[in-house]
Amino acid sequence: MIDIRDVAIEYGRGGRTVLAVDGISLHVEPGESVALIGPSGCGKTTLLFAVAGLIRPRDGGIEIAGKAVSGPRGEIALILQNAGLLPWKTVWQNANLSLRLGGEYPGKTAASVLEELGLAGVKGRYPAELSEGMKRRVGIARALSMSPSVMLMDEPLASLDTLTKERIQNLFLELWLKRRFSLVLVTHDIEEAAFLGQRIAVLTERPAKVKQVVANPGIGEVRYRATEEFVGIVTRLREALEG
Amino acid sequence: MKRMRGMGKALREGPVVWHVARYVVAIAILLLAWWGASEIVEHVKGRAFLPNPVRAISEMARLGPTLFRNFWVSAWRLVMAMLIAFSLGYPLGLLIGHERRLDQLISPMIYIVYPIPQVAFILILFLIFGVGNPVKVAIVSVALFFQILVSARGAAKQIELEHITSVLAAGASRWQVYWHVVLPATLPSILTSLRVSVGLGMAFLYIAETTGAFVTPERGGLGRFIASNIYSGAQAFAGILAMALLGLSLYILIEVIERVACRWKHVSGRPS
Repeated sequence: MIDIRDVAIEYGRGGRTVLAVDGISLHVEPGESVALIGPSGCGKTTLLFAVAGLIRPRDGGIEIAGKAVSGPRGEIALILQNAGLLPWKTVWQNANLSLRLGGEYPGKTAASVLEELGLAGVKGRYPAELSEGMKRRVGIARALSMSPSVMLMDEPLASLDTLTKERIQNLFLELWLKRRFSLVLVTHDIEEAAFLGQRIAVLTERPAKVKQVVANPGIGEVRYRATEEFVGIVTRLREALEG
Repeated sequence: MKRMRGMGKALREGPVVWHVARYVVAIAILLLAWWGASEIVEHVKGRAFLPNPVRAISEMARLGPTLFRNFWVSAWRLVMAMLIAFSLGYPLGLLIGHERRLDQLISPMIYIVYPIPQVAFILILFLIFGVGNPVKVAIVSVALFFQILVSARGAAKQIELEHITSVLAAGASRWQVYWHVVLPATLPSILTSLRVSVGLGMAFLYIAETTGAFVTPERGGLGRFIASNIYSGAQAFAGILAMALLGLSLYILIEVIERVACRWKHVSGRPS
């Protein structure tokens, strides 16, 4: 589904270029979930933005469903760190934004997704009137409104309190199991990676390279967090990051 | 209809009563201070150079029709100038602030011209536009244009990158980025800038109306009215009061527009 081949990404201009990603190759199967974990500023978000079509790699190539990524596509949804909601748009307008930009609104709307995520009652509110957890759910609603086959998440739960974070992680898991999109999750949270990633790619300091890929086939249930297998994966990831 | 209901709601939800109360108190304090100053001047100088508020307000009532006519002449000029400055300065400022190459090309020119006092352009504007209404509108427009342009550029530069990334990732075109992000994100600060510009606009309007004071005195505007009555204190102060009223009306009008158009700025935050 997602094929990342020898990708190197540079940013900056002139003599001030920084190599953010250095020769990463990764393949994500349809319906598979892969977490990318690494130190802050290592280049994992840069790689994700390249998969989303927002950044063009210097070398290598990225293909999704056999087609080279040259820009954002309707089948690829990106959830940003703070949900990426526009403060001047209501929940309804934010949730329908992708459909509107793609010219599909009002023929198709996010009404059923908002209903599914328990947001139907707050359609007229602005983001400033929502709790942090609700804001993230609106971000998810916007992403799901396009029925994407690829879901990219850039530290989507950063700065949330533990319980809210776990609730949204559970929601991500439920949605992924139900809809089976290919999921690429960028996070610096080891437990989040172990809860949501069937495979976890541990990246090095910048420029990012794949240091190790940890298989995590046991995910799929909320109670996975309480298992020894989960604790073992968390320990392995910690060692890989520190090593 | 839905929009009208939204506007009504926005106005009701804002602290309108408090706003009105604050203005009433402010006006009362200013009138008292004015009265006190007038008494002190009369006591020190032995003559009422500074008429007290009662005399000025009585004069306002007496000169009603003339003052009213001049009020509308000035109001029309100021509103036209603000609209022209806004419709030229806002989009241009956004373009410069958002498009890096355009910024590199145009900003140096703006920052060379911006510090030149716009009063220096008055003679040129008279030569271009003559001595009628257009030149007065042009003088105020030029002054406000730079103010709005610089504010819009600054506001466009402050837009959070996440908001732009968010719509770009959803496939937004350049035009859609402007419509869905750049325009709404900058509107509150531009309206604030416009509100602050009312004072500057009034000052330039006074200059424009008094510089061209040798023609059409009966429809010369408040500036002309004040200048021609400068030696009869109470009449001049009636004009000054009318000018203050004009400024205050515009200030309130822009605030109401801001509350309706940028309602999201005024919704109360929800505790987490």
